[in-house]
Amino acid sequence: MKVEIIERDDQYVLNHCTKYLARDTSDPRHDFGQYGPGDPRAALCEAWRFPVVDTHWDGVSAESSYPFNDVTFVHDGRAAAPAVVTVTGTFGPLHAPVPLRPLLFAGEPTGFFAVTVRVPKGQVHTYKLGVDGAYVVDPVNPQRTVLDNGETWSRFFTDACAVPLVLGRAERELLGRLVAHLLPFRLEENRRFIRGVYESLDRAARNEEFPLAYQLDDEVGTVNYIDKLLARQEQHNADDYRTCLRIIGDLLRARSGGLDPATVPPEMYADLYAQMETERVEGWDHGRYGSPRHFLLLLRRHAMTGAFAHPRHGGNAGAAGWMYLENRFRDGRGDTLFDWRRALESPLGNNTDYRG
Amino acid sequence: MAEGTPPQEPADIVVIGSGAGGAPVAHTLVRAGHRVVMLEKGPLLRTQAQSPQGLSDFKRDESFATGAEKRITVPGVANTGEAYFSSHVEPDLNDEPHVYRDGDGADRVTIEGYTAQVVGGGTQLYGGVSPRFTPDDLRLRSFNEGRGDLRADPGGDVLREARDWPVDYAALEPYYTRAEELIGINGTWEGQAKTPSADRYQPPLAPNPISAYAAAGMDALGMRRYRTPLAVITRDHAPSGRTVPRDPESIKTAFVNRYGDPLGLKSNTWVSLLAPLRGGAGRGGFELRANCTVTHLEADGARVARVHYRDPAGRPRVLAARTVVVACSAIESVRLLRLSALLDAAFERRINGNGLLGAYFLTHCFGGAQCVVPERADKSRTLDSDWATDHCARAEWIREQGLWAGGVIYNNTSDGALPLSLARTWHAMDMDSIWKGYLYDTSLVGDGFEDYLEQSFGRRLSVAFMANQVPQRTNRIELHPTVKDKWGRPAAHILKTWHGHDRALMDTLAEQCRRILAGGGRTGDLSSGSVGHSVVRIANHVLGGARFGTDPADSVLDADCRAWNFDNLYVTDGSFMPTSGSANPTLTIEANAFRVADTLLGRV
Repeated sequence: MKVEIIERDDQYVLNHCTKYLARDTSDPRHDFGQYGPGDPRAALCEAWRFPVVDTHWDGVSAESSYPFNDVTFVHDGRAAAPAVVTVTGTFGPLHAPVPLRPLLFAGEPTGFFAVTVRVPKGQVHTYKLGVDGAYVVDPVNPQRTVLDNGETWSRFFTDACAVPLVLGRAERELLGRLVAHLLPFRLEENRRFIRGVYESLDRAARNEEFPLAYQLDDEVGTVNYIDKLLARQEQHNADDYRTCLRIIGDLLRARSGGLDPATVPPEMYADLYAQMETERVEGWDHGRYGSPRHFLLLLRRHAMTGAFAHPRHGGNAGAAGWMYLENRFRDGRGDTLFDWRRALESPLGNNTDYRG
Repeated sequence: MAEGTPPQEPADIVVIGSGAGGAPVAHTLVRAGHRVVMLEKGPLLRTQAQSPQGLSDFKRDESFATGAEKRITVPGVANTGEAYFSSHVEPDLNDEPHVYRDGDGADRVTIEGYTAQVVGGGTQLYGGVSPRFTPDDLRLRSFNEGRGDLRADPGGDVLREARDWPVDYAALEPYYTRAEELIGINGTWEGQAKTPSADRYQPPLAPNPISAYAAAGMDALGMRRYRTPLAVITRDHAPSGRTVPRDPESIKTAFVNRYGDPLGLKSNTWVSLLAPLRGGAGRGGFELRANCTVTHLEADGARVARVHYRDPAGRPRVLAARTVVVACSAIESVRLLRLSALLDAAFERRINGNGLLGAYFLTHCFGGAQCVVPERADKSRTLDSDWATDHCARAEWIREQGLWAGGVIYNNTSDGALPLSLARTWHAMDMDSIWKGYLYDTSLVGDGFEDYLEQSFGRRLSVAFMANQVPQRTNRIELHPTVKDKWGRPAAHILKTWHGHDRALMDTLAEQCRRILAGGGRTGDLSSGSVGHSVVRIANHVLGGARFGTDPADSVLDADCRAWNFDNLYVTDGSFMPTSGSANPTLTIEANAFRVADTLLGRV
C-alpha cells in the first residue's frame, strides 16, 4: 500500500489555515459544548476542518478521479518551530511516515507544515503526527479515538463514509424511525419510488453511476449523515442526541408495554412528535433534557439536510433524495422540472465542465 | 526578528481589499505601469482553470452557502448562545463580530452586512444584479429642492439631509461603460431609464419560464421592462480572457447567489480584473497577498506612511506605502480608519475632525412580493434575475407618489430553487433567521411536507425592489465599547433606524411589486412586505459612513475620494456614497473606483 502524495500549492493550504488558526486570542470562542474545560482547541475556529478533505482530480477523467479524496494534513509549528514533521496513519504503511513540508509566505517560512495524500472515499482512518521524532495526536483536529490497545489517535473520514462513528446500532435504528417520520419518503408511493431507485442501483449501473450508494432504506442515508455531522462539524450536538434517544427509547418502551422502540407502530412516533412540538411529552424526564421541542427542531434541520444535501456528506444516498424530486416534478411532456444532473459533477451528475 | 519590530517593506501603492472598490483601482494602475501591492483578508479561491490542481475551492454544494451550525459566544450581547449559519467565505462571528443595536435597545451580533471575505470580496457571492444608478440618484438634493409634498417627513429631514453627489451622471457615465465592458455583464438597454454612451452588454440567456409571470405583470401595469443586467458572461470575454462552455445554456445554474463560481463565469472582480494582471500582462507589477488582515494605518502628518497587517500566519508586518487605497466595504473601512485613529490623536483629527467618519451609514430600502404560480418551472436552470423595470425610478412617478427618490424592481429566479435553500429560507426574514421559519413551522412533516413541496418547489416567484434610503446622521458605524475581534481590536458597532419616509417609500414600492404579481396571471398565496420593521436588514449593501462631497465640513472625502486632510489616503468602496441609489450598488462602486483610478494616474 503505497501513499500517493498529491501536489497542492502553499496558497491552497494557507487558504484553509489563516481564518481558522491565525489569531492573538486564546479565549474559548469556539466552544459550543464539544470541548472539556481548558481544551486549547476551543480557541480555534472550525477546528473540525483539519485534516482538510477535498475533491480529487487526477487530470485524466471524472470516472478515475471520483473514487478518491485529497486529504491535507496541517501542523501548526509556529510556536515550537520543529525541524521535521511527519504523519503516520492507517491510510498508508505504518513503517513509512510521510513528511510534511514547511509552508512559505513571501518566501519565508510561516511555521505551518502540510502534506496532501490521496485516500479512497468512504473510509475512516487513524493517524498521528511525528514532531521532531515524537508521535503526538493532532493538536487541532477534534476527532480522536481510543484504539483497542488503549492509545488515543487522531481520526478522519473521507466523503460518503458509511462507517458508524458516534451512534450505536440501537440508537441508529431508533433515529431511523424518528427521521422517517419527518421526511416524505415514508408515504407509500414515495417508499415504492425510493425502493425502485435502490433496486435500479443494484444492477450494473450502480457501480458506475453511484459507486458510493450504500444503504437502501426509507431514510435515504439521513441517519448516516447525522452520525457524520455529530462526529465532525456538529460534535457539540452529540450529547443532545445521546440523551434524547435514550429518553425517547425509554418512553416508547414504557408506552408499548416493553416493545423494542424500533418496532413500535408508526402512530406512536406521530403522537410523540406532536407532543414534543408542544413541550408536553408525557413521561419525558426534563431533568435529563429540558426541551423536547429543541431536540425536535434539531432533528428536523438535520433530517432535511441529510435527505437533500450533496451525497458526499453521507446522506442523500445514491442521490435518492434528488431523484425523488426529479421524478416527482415533471412537465406535460414528461421532462423533469428538477434537472439536478446538469449542474453536478460527473459521474454523480452529468456535467463534465465542473469537476466537484 | 526581535519582538516588536516587524519587517518593513517599501511599496508604491497599497490597495486594501480586492472587491468592487479595490480591484478597479489596482487594475487601472497596474495596466498603466504602476506597482501595486493588494492586501486581502480572505483566501484566494481559484477557478478550476486557474488552479494548478484543476479544482476550485468553490463547490456546487448547498453546505458551502450555508454551513453547519455554530453558536454565538460573544459575551454581553442579547443573542449569546444562539445558533447561526454562514457561508464558508463569510467571517466567523465569534472571531470578527459585527454588533448592531436592535429596535429593543439591546446589542446583538449579526451576519447581516458582511460581504464575503475572499479575493473578489462580495462580488464572489453576489447574485450579480448590476444596474446603473439613474441620473436623478446622483442629485437628490436638487431634485427635491422646494418640494412641500414629501410624505411622512414632518421635520423636513429629507430636504435637509439629501445631498447631490459631487460628480454628475455625465462624469460617471464613461466609467459605467468601462466597468460594463471589463467586468463582463449581460443584459439589455431597451426600456432602461439610463442611457449608455456605448452598449457593452453581452446578450442575455433565455429567461426561466417562471419569469413570464413577472413579465406579464409588468406589461399589464404599463411598466417598461428590460432584461436584468447580470454580472455573468454568456459569451467568451476578451478583456479577461474567460471562455464559456460550448453550451451557453449550461451557464444557468441555481448555484449562483451566495455561491462562488468554480468555472469563473460569474464576473467577480478576481476573474474579471485581477487575475488578468498576473504574469506579463500587468506591466507595472501586481502582487496580491491573500489571507492578510490590515490592523491599522500609521501616518506621518498628512501622509499615511505605513500599513500594518498580519500575514497568513498572523505575524505582524508593515508596508511603507506612498499611496494607500482603503476598500474593505463600508463598515470595515470605517472601522479600520477608526481603529487607526484610536492609536493616534493626530490621525483622529485629520480623518474625523468634523465628526462625520462613520456617520450617514446607508443601506437600501428593500422588500418586495411573492406568490405561488400555477405552472411549475425548473428553477435550477437559472441566473439570479430575468426581468427588471425602472418604472418606479422615473421622476414623474416619484413626484406623483410624494416620494423623494425611487427604486428598481426586478424578479428573483434563483431564490429557493434548490431543496435546502427552499427550506432554510422558508419564512426567513434575514441571514440571522435562516432555517428558523422552516423549523418553527412544525406542520411540515409527512403529508404536510408533501403539500409544502407541491405548493413551493419550482412554483414560488418573488419580485424585489431596491431603493434609496434617507441619509440620517444618527445612522452610523462606531467601535463597540466592549466586543473585540480575534486580534483584540474593537468590533464594529452598527447603529441605524429607518426614517418614516423610508417606510412610506417601502410600503409604496412593495405594493407595486404586489400588483406586478397580482397582474401576472393566476397567482396565489400573494404577500408583500419590506424591511421597514427590522433595523438589522442590510441586504449586504453597506454604503456611506465616509461620504464624499465638495465641502470639507460636510464630508469625509473630497470629490476624488481622497480623505480631506490626507495627501495620499483614498477610500473607494461603497462608503463614499452620500445617498444609496435606486439599484444594487456594486456596478456603481466599480465605476467610481475606475474614475478615482484615472485621477490617481495623474498623481502617483
